[in-house]
Amino acid sequence: MMKNTTSQVVATMTLSDGTVLELPPENLATSSSTVKKVTGNTLLGALGLLFLVPMLWLLLASIDSNASWAIEWPHFSLRNFQNVLTGSLLTSLWNSVILAFVSTLIASVAGVFAAYSFSRRRIPFKGPLLLFILFSSGVPLSIMVIPVYEIFAHYGWLTIFPTAVFLSVTSLPFEIYLMKNFIDAVPEDLEEAARMERANTFQVLWRVIIPLALPGIAAAAIFGFVNAWGSFVVPLILISNGSQQPAPIALYTFLTLPKPEFGNIAAYSLVFCVPVFVLYAASSRLFREGFVLGGGVKG
Amino acid sequence: MMSTVVNDTSTGPHVAQLWKTRQDKVRTQWSSILLLTPALGLLAVLFLVPLAFAVYLGLTNLTLLGPTSVHWGFSGLANLIRLKSDTEFWSSLWTTAYFIGGSIVGVVVLGYVLASLLQRASTFLRVVVGGIVVVAWMMPAVTAGMTWYASTTGNGTISTLLGMPSSNFLDAQPLLIVTLANIWSMTGFCMLVMGAALRNIPLEAIEAAKVENASSWQRFRLIVLPLMRPTIIAVVLLTALLSLANFALIYIMTQGGPGTATNILPLYSYQQAFSFNNLAYGALIGNVMVLIATVFGILYVRIASR
Repeated sequence: MMKNTTSQVVATMTLSDGTVLELPPENLATSSSTVKKVTGNTLLGALGLLFLVPMLWLLLASIDSNASWAIEWPHFSLRNFQNVLTGSLLTSLWNSVILAFVSTLIASVAGVFAAYSFSRRRIPFKGPLLLFILFSSGVPLSIMVIPVYEIFAHYGWLTIFPTAVFLSVTSLPFEIYLMKNFIDAVPEDLEEAARMERANTFQVLWRVIIPLALPGIAAAAIFGFVNAWGSFVVPLILISNGSQQPAPIALYTFLTLPKPEFGNIAAYSLVFCVPVFVLYAASSRLFREGFVLGGGVKG
Repeated sequence: MMSTVVNDTSTGPHVAQLWKTRQDKVRTQWSSILLLTPALGLLAVLFLVPLAFAVYLGLTNLTLLGPTSVHWGFSGLANLIRLKSDTEFWSSLWTTAYFIGGSIVGVVVLGYVLASLLQRASTFLRVVVGGIVVVAWMMPAVTAGMTWYASTTGNGTISTLLGMPSSNFLDAQPLLIVTLANIWSMTGFCMLVMGAALRNIPLEAIEAAKVENASSWQRFRLIVLPLMRPTIIAVVLLTALLSLANFALIYIMTQGGPGTATNILPLYSYQQAFSFNNLAYGALIGNVMVLIATVFGILYVRIASR
């Protein structure tokens, strides 16, 4: 290897100030980058393991017929999953579905209208309004839950649907911002072409904007769904009727029982996570497909 | 229906004169207002009204139960005076600062390291490790809190793996553990944002620096860091804001305890309002949080809208 060193130092480079740089021999560079690669991959693997450790209990306890807080090799059974997919626990999951769907629907419909307006129309105070939207997308609106509780209690709204409306507001600003960015990228020629054919605003939205900005709208809707699905404090405070409580509250109630069934808790937690993971997997594909937007305009 | 096209060729300039409208400016259309109404209405009713109401509530004697839950009224600065001498509030403020500060450092460092390692990693590791970190991020707070509790309590996963099963880390270092749990659950987000920003750094810049024999530390400090600055600042601010909202995690793991060791502001506000019956005082503590969030929020807007 040392013998052919001379033949390898052939690549030189003359810089503008006249100094001549000798580029390092190719194989030396690769061997040091191999070392780097191995170190990098090892470090990455170690970090991955560290991130995996806290999940182990959830995975093992869910298939253990005799689970506790302690980590142990499971007595394999799927009974936990059977146990949690019945009765009031199933109702709670269903409540979560209603809560998340209603809130996503409201936020996405209101959001797409507003996003289109902000993207294409002349609006008085547009700049300040957009700054306000951006600002409220950063501020966690769920910390406003006390005044909202007092208002809802006064009108007798401590039920599932008003709660869904409040949850939609907590994700609305970010959804508007996300969708506006995607609508901005839809070529204006397409909209003008539709206008020539005397399409009205709703036709333009429905036939042109929504189909072309769909990846962004879907991403925004998924954000809203996940936000509502996982929310714990808002339904805990704003829903007074136990039979309307969503899954996170059921899970918490589970824990406070005198003799918690840990296997069931873990299984229920996993079932509760499934929609979130599925939606995330679906949306990462959507994002990849989303950037072929320019193809809509010919010539 | 009015037309949006600025220089509509079908209507001549005489029409513009007739209507006394300027053709070089797009007019505000009624349909725009109509389209904005649902979103702005919702934000006004469920964001601005509660916000204003909370400011007022903080200065009243409203309670959750009892006579003052119905017949309540303005109580002047009583709550503010109480807040000033409330040692639990001030210690909660420090706990919050530790929790948020620790989360920012952990999330940004881990997020950056993971993002840059993933760029050069083998496909297998990229999918598996990236997947694990993202799953941790996607996991709802209740579930994350539960599995972290099981991992850090006595006989839990971590103490068993370390060979000292009886030690209860959650009791010994509660604030550190809940901060780590929060870092664990937010790193995935940071990793994805950092990854996207890293891919946008032009390769030529790095190559040019390599040609100039810049060390990897110099490349990081002089090229990567300046280009990543806006992203890093945005992630820092978002981590701060999201940590403030992520208190369900702590609620599940410790409920603010043991004692007041993990009682961050959102929890203290909740506790005052719904456990100790003081809705008004809870709202006032909530207002302090809104104030803190506003500072971060304004900084975030200034970065994001640049």
